[in-house]
Order: sequence, then C-alpha cells, then structure tokens
Amino acid sequence: MTESRLTNTLLTLLTYAVAIVMFFPILWMFLTAFKTEQTAFDIVPHFLFTPTLDSFKLALAQGNGYWHYAFNSALSAVASTLIGLVLAVPAAYAMAFFPSKRTDFTLVWMVSTKFIPAVGVLIPVFMVYKSLGLLDNIWGLTMLFTAMNLPLIVWMVYSYFKDIPKDIIEAADIDGAGTLQTMVKVVLPLALPGLASTGLLALILAWNESFWSLTMTDHKAATLAVFIASFKSAEGLFWAKMSAASVLTVTPIIILGWFAQRQMVRGLTFGAVK
Amino acid sequence: MSFAAKSRPTEPGAYNQPAPRGRSTRVRRQRVRAAWLFLTPMLIVLALVAGWPLLRTFWFSVTDATLNSMEGANFIGFENYLIHDAGGWYGLLADPEWWNAVWNTLYFTGVSVGLESVLGIIVALVLNAEFRGRTLVRAAILIPWAIPTIVSAKIWAWMLNDQFGILNHLFMTLGLIDAPLAWTADASLSMWAVIMVDVWKATPFVALLVLAALQMLPSDCYEAAKVDGISPLKVFFRVTLPLIMPALLVAIIFRALDALRVFDVIYVLTSNSSSTMTMSVYARQQLVEFQDVGYGSAASTLLFLIIALVSIAYLYLGRRQLGGDT
Repeated sequence: MTESRLTNTLLTLLTYAVAIVMFFPILWMFLTAFKTEQTAFDIVPHFLFTPTLDSFKLALAQGNGYWHYAFNSALSAVASTLIGLVLAVPAAYAMAFFPSKRTDFTLVWMVSTKFIPAVGVLIPVFMVYKSLGLLDNIWGLTMLFTAMNLPLIVWMVYSYFKDIPKDIIEAADIDGAGTLQTMVKVVLPLALPGLASTGLLALILAWNESFWSLTMTDHKAATLAVFIASFKSAEGLFWAKMSAASVLTVTPIIILGWFAQRQMVRGLTFGAVK
Repeated sequence: MSFAAKSRPTEPGAYNQPAPRGRSTRVRRQRVRAAWLFLTPMLIVLALVAGWPLLRTFWFSVTDATLNSMEGANFIGFENYLIHDAGGWYGLLADPEWWNAVWNTLYFTGVSVGLESVLGIIVALVLNAEFRGRTLVRAAILIPWAIPTIVSAKIWAWMLNDQFGILNHLFMTLGLIDAPLAWTADASLSMWAVIMVDVWKATPFVALLVLAALQMLPSDCYEAAKVDGISPLKVFFRVTLPLIMPALLVAIIFRALDALRVFDVIYVLTSNSSSTMTMSVYARQQLVEFQDVGYGSAASTLLFLIIALVSIAYLYLGRRQLGGDT
C-alpha cells in the first residue's frame, strides 16, 4: 500500500517536471516580453523584475504595425477555411454517401499531395503567381492556404459524414428530396459539430503557416509570420520586442486551441484516431 | 437501364430498397451525376495548386533552367541528376553536398521521431494517471505544438543564444557545462539543437495520439494483470504497448512525413549551415540562392520520390504488422 503511494507521488512529481520542461520556453517568452531590451540582455537572466509594457508598445508599431499583419492573418485564415469547407463538403458528401470504385483512389491521391515538399513547388507557384499578379496579394495567399488544408478538411468531413447512418439519406430520398436538398437540410445540420471543429483546426493551421507567407508576401499582404520574421539582429536589440510580438501572435491560437484539443487530434491524423 | 442496376448489385452505397426499379435507377443515375458534380471543384483546385506545380517541377528537373532564363530552358535529359563528363561523374547523384543533405535528413528524422515516440509514450502514460491539476498540466504540455513553428524557432534561438541565452545560464548554474556553448554555430552541436527543438515541439503531438488510445483501453486487462501480480513493466510491454501500437504507428508516419520535409525550424536556427542542411534546405538554396532551377528541381523531385517511397513502404509494412486491419 505504502509502496504504491510512493510510486504515485513519484509519478506525480515526474508529471510536474515534464510539464515544467515543456512549458518553460513559453513561460520564458512571456517573461521576456514584459522586460526591456536591456533587462532581457543581462548576463544573469532575471526571473523577478519590474514588468513593463514598453516592448509591447514597440512591437505593436514594428513594420506596418501589428494590426496590419494580424488583419491579413485573420482574413486569410478565415477566408481559406470557408472556401475550403465550401469545396470540401460536397466532395466529402459524394465520397461518403455515393462511393464508387474510384473513391479510394481519389482519397489516396488527395492525401498524396501532402507528400509534396513546399520548397519543391515553390518556383512553379511563384512563376504562375507572378504572371497572374498574385504576389503579395492576400487572395493569392488565401488560395494557397485553401489548397494546403483541403486534403485534411475533406478527409475530416468525410470521416464525420461516414458516422451518419445512411438510412437518413434513404428516408429523405423516399420523401422526394433532391440530392442538394438532402445534403443542406438533412446531413449538414447533423454534421455541424464536426464541421465546426474541422473549421477550427483549419483556421489554426492557416494562422500558423509560415513558409508560403514568407515567400509569397512582402508588404501589402504580409501576415504575422512575416511580422515575426522581421525581428532580426540587423535592427539592434530585438529579443524583448520579438517576444512581445510572439505573445501577441500565439495568444489567439492558445485560446482557440484550448477549445479544439480533441478535434485537433482527429484532424491531424486524418480521422485515424477519434 | 435495369442492366446497370443488376450488374453492380453489391456496389457499396447502392441502396437496393424495394422501390420500383425505374425510380431506383433514375435516382442512382442522378446520384452518379451529383457525385461528379460535387467532387469536381475540389479535384480541380488540388490539381491546379498542387498537381500542376509538381509536374512543372518534374519538367524543370530535366532542363537547364535558371531563375533568369525560365522561358529559354532546354531539355537536357537527366544531366541534372547524373552525367558522365570529362572523366568524372557530375550531377545531383554525384554531389557529396546532396548526399550530406540526404544523410542529415534521415538522421534528423530517425533520431527526432524516435525520441518523440519514446517521450510521447511516457508523457501520455503520465497524463493518463489521475492527479491534481491534470487538466491544466495537460494543456501546458500541449501548447508547444499549437504555436507557429516560426515563433517556436525564434524563441529557441533566443534561449540558445550563446551569450545571453537562458539555457547556457541554467546549465552552467547546474554545473553541467563549464563554459557557454555555441548551440547553433558549433557544427557538432547544431544538429542536436534542432533535434531538441523539434522534439520539444512535436512530442505533445505523439503524446496526444497515444493518450487518446490509452483512454480507450479496456481496464479489465489491467485488473487481471494486477491480480496476477505481474510487474508493471511487463504489463506495459505485453499489454499496453501492443494495444496502443496502431495509434503510435499513425503518429510516427505523420511525424516522419513532416520530419523528412523539415525546413523552417532548421532555416531559422542554423540557416544554410552544412552540418544541419536537410534536403528541403538544400533544394531551396539551389533554387533561390544559386538560382539553378534545373538542379534545384531535380533535388525537389528526388525529395518527393523519397517521401512517397518511405510512406508507401511504411503503410505496407504497418498494414502487415497490424494484420487484418485493412
């Protein structure tokens, strides 16, 4: 009995230790954000200090100002998620309710686009965008985010649709409802919680994207990734400002992520783990 | 009309309800049309934004294109890959830098995914136990994975800073090291630095998947093992591990796919340093900095093929090992 209690105490201590190690970098980011550049650069790092909002003020004014980047990030994330859902719902519906011999192939082909390294298609995409005038354009970036998340969205929605009993579709058929009507009026309301969490996940992934944001935008359509990357040593001391900017960037995601914990597992594994 | 209905009676999703045959055929044909109509937009978008650029990359890889002369590119066969010229072998496959990048990528993938699996299982086991403040601890552990890579890479660059970084300070205070280490600049350390950052960021992902699997395990297995007095370690290897294996395999393939393509964390921390150069970083350097589109595209093509090969092999083996779970 005492032995098992000892094991339990040790296990709990181990848990707290793991949590502290995992959380420490985040904590350090938050602490640095409330320092001045000078305090941040002291040889002996401080855990106790007088917090100041100076770095936040400086970070908010960096480049085009935080809100410019945040607006672009929010717009591209929300728009790409909505467009993705509009494209994905009918596709997933077709595959879940009217499967054919080609359905498996379509699913595999769709997922195989995720094998493509972003670097590998950079030049062709860049050239097409240049000739279409989509460089540094928020809708051009939105389109890339849509394509990036589309396989995941389709797969997730597909896995939610699969859970809906087919009898419901049959019943709607017998009542003489058309395919579109059945989808919109019968199936979508049932899958609404699933659609919501899929959307939430796509939103987070688009908000966190950095490769395409950094290569395809520059100024006008620059997102928060560009904002964070703009803190460089060429501009002198910047660690406190950068930490403040990071805090401003991750806070919305941490809040959203809190609500989406479970759904994120399902989404990131293409529904393999529920 | 009725032929179509009869010839595919067992097609999944074909509802053979006892409705009049004429009506059911009409409904089915309408469904097939709707299915195509529904699928087409998604297929077109993916083909345009993913398929087409990939085909272009294949094409560039067999030309002598450079960033300045994309239009005037000539077909040169597989010379970007391998060519025997003037008594020596040239091209990507004869480039030691490329093989260094391949080795680095495989090393990075093997070590980081291996560590993430082991640590992920431990974290999941710990989180699966009941203790005070579990919800909070769970959320704290998951955060690293939910924040943008660019942010985590920058934060770690700050913590790993050789003069002012907290990590050197902590290690020196604890007496682990005598002098500050140049984590990202020292060739022998930088690979471990990027692996550490990746492990920190991705362990929560593995833990989350394993935890989900743990919570679905039947508790009677454990009760039985407890009654029989089997040691906890034995229980883990004989009972728990086989049961969470499917979830673990899923986690590993997703992590491996990301690790094989790894770019941003390495680029932010160590830029183009050859001791951490992965295939993606190599391809970007050829494409953007050396402006050699043909050669860089050849590297991208090989990278794509390697990833496809690894995934297919893994899925094949995984399916066989899981047996029957097809």
